Amino acid sequence: METASVPSGLTLLEFLRDRLHLTGTKEGCGIGECGACTVLLDEKPVTACLVLAAEADGCTVETVEGEATDGQLSVLQRAFVETGAVQCGFCTPGMIMSARGLLRRSPNPSDDEIVEAMAGNLCRCTGYEAILTAVRLCAKGGRR
Amino acid sequence: MISPTELIDARSLAGSRVVTPPRVERGKEPLVLGCFDYQRPSTLLEAGRLLAGNDGPAAVLAGGTDLLVDIRGRRHDPRILVDIKRIDALRRLDVDSAGALTIGAAVPLNEIIERAAIRRTFPGLVQAAESIATYQLRNRATAVGNLCNASPAADMAPILLALGADLMAWSPRGERTIPLSSLFVGVKKTSLAPDEIATEIRIPAPEPGLRSGFLKQQRLRGHDLAVVSAAGTYVSSTGVLRLAVGSCAPTPLLLEPIEVGRSSKAVVEEKAERAVQAAMRPISDTRASADYRRAVLPVLVKRLVADLLAEGGAP
Repeated sequence: METASVPSGLTLLEFLRDRLHLTGTKEGCGIGECGACTVLLDEKPVTACLVLAAEADGCTVETVEGEATDGQLSVLQRAFVETGAVQCGFCTPGMIMSARGLLRRSPNPSDDEIVEAMAGNLCRCTGYEAILTAVRLCAKGGRR
Repeated sequence: MISPTELIDARSLAGSRVVTPPRVERGKEPLVLGCFDYQRPSTLLEAGRLLAGNDGPAAVLAGGTDLLVDIRGRRHDPRILVDIKRIDALRRLDVDSAGALTIGAAVPLNEIIERAAIRRTFPGLVQAAESIATYQLRNRATAVGNLCNASPAADMAPILLALGADLMAWSPRGERTIPLSSLFVGVKKTSLAPDEIATEIRIPAPEPGLRSGFLKQQRLRGHDLAVVSAAGTYVSSTGVLRLAVGSCAPTPLLLEPIEVGRSSKAVVEEKAERAVQAAMRPISDTRASADYRRAVLPVLVKRLVADLLAEGGAP
């Protein structure tokens, strides 16, 4: 649990990166359009650039740093690596958090559900197919 | 000290000197949103006091998906943000026994989308909410906020206009019911007073067999604003068709109701098309030309009318 005194204008993204030095969460656009800064706020995917740190008072915040356990990549992370869903890697933390939010609320999502859940995360490198495959792999039943 | 604009101006490069950005202490980096106060009241009364206070212009913060972007872009400079998300009364999302719906100001769009009863009764409302932004943004953005931001392209406006919704506004002076048809007065301008907080949307109980729909023309699938949009409701027992359109005038437009009577679908579609053409005042902007809007919106309206009048279709 983190306790901090922050200026009112500090965004959650700035707080995570600049104050807590959790730099896994990236800034892509700063205006909520690219999804690179996606974190789970009370288990819901949100873009941290448009949340004030002060608004998160009393909430749980989960970032990509929480995916791996004891240095071991999560199943979801490994799926991303295996399918070639990671090229430059910049969109990846946001993709992982959107996928994590999806799989938690819907462990066996349909293809349409997956697309809708991931549509708020932009990628300039991969063309998205490998990313969607990785998420599908992690759906219950692990279908390609 | 050379300003950033001077730095990139080629004419000023001759004889220029290298500027090192000032060393900023870690933890003291300038904030991208600048400086303002933030308060999170737990009652409307407290919120009202903060908004009316003398510490400079105040703004209501719900989802922040428009407000914080405007602050970052220096289009808005409030001195204090009043976060209304902890005011219980504003988190209501209730369908009463007659089917009337109340949407509190702090209710995020995803909550509306995920409520099966709302999807059954007002499918057009859910279609509109689903068309907005992205999943992440819909966890924060609110329907009330979409109305108060009053973009000409506001996606929640056309369907709420067609449904005959009211917006409730609270101030220390009392509560006011604002029919949505009187809310929008200009581009990003509402009839709300500076000390008023929009508290909830009230949608009247649906007439039996009410059908509703929403169509949005975008440049791409996924996150985009409306190029043009159309919403409508139809009740076969009364034969009344209500249409509203967006992103084709300074404000969202509610058209005159159309009595379908015994008219054929083709006649009704033609009436609707002519009504839209007469009412719309589109501009050319980054999303589309006025000509494109004039060409596409009547088509959208025709499709919507066809859907609403279709025999035996789902509501």
